[in-house]
Amino acid sequence: MSVTYKFEFPGDPRLLCVMRKAVELCSRLTGFSDELCRSLTLAVDEALSNIIRHAYGGNAGQPIEMVFRRADERVEFILTDSGREADLERLQPKPPDELRPGGRGVHFIREIMDEVEYQRLPGQNRLRLVKYRPSSTGL
Amino acid sequence: MQISTRRVGTATVVDVVGDIDLYNSPEVRNVVLGAVRAPGASRVVMNLQKVRYIDSSGVASLVEGLKTSRTANVRFVLYGLSTAAREVLELSRLITVFEVAENEEQALAP
Repeated sequence: MSVTYKFEFPGDPRLLCVMRKAVELCSRLTGFSDELCRSLTLAVDEALSNIIRHAYGGNAGQPIEMVFRRADERVEFILTDSGREADLERLQPKPPDELRPGGRGVHFIREIMDEVEYQRLPGQNRLRLVKYRPSSTGL
Repeated sequence: MQISTRRVGTATVVDVVGDIDLYNSPEVRNVVLGAVRAPGASRVVMNLQKVRYIDSSGVASLVEGLKTSRTANVRFVLYGLSTAAREVLELSRLITVFEVAENEEQALAP
């Protein structure tokens, strides 16, 4: 059975803790392990942080929509914002073992999620993050 | 998030409580760098026992602290890593880069 939850909130760094709680609860409803719930929370939080910092240039209060969709074999988080188009170069993960202060967020997202899909739509960015249930990967 | 410092001999212990994320990682960064650069500091110890969550911006603050400590010839030690914090440092491939102690006593030991 498919379940969909939709959240709309202002892109304010002070509210990231609230969104993390929402992501954690959505993940727990799926029956994922504690470790997987933590990973999903981290990945979505990193994506939200990137929207606030880069798409909205740190301008708090701009709208972000997060849709959580749960199907039998996977969960999806679809993040939509109306900020500036993503720099695709920035979306490329950097080697994580450099002693470089920043730039790890994209690496975290790509390591944790099974699918990461970015689309530029008219006036919007859409980021789709997919995680398959461990038993459905065949591993 | 709450952050404070205390002196133990020539070491500075930085106590952090709560989540470290985009909102408050700048404050963590400033406190950590201040501790590393403080006159007479020989060691900075990060007490992370009560840090339930840390994201890449929090990791960046720790990395800056580590890099600056190396330049300043100050020892930089973490202790009290939660499961979540340890997982994030492992994901960052930094768990072996930082000096990590089991507890404060170990972190302050010569």
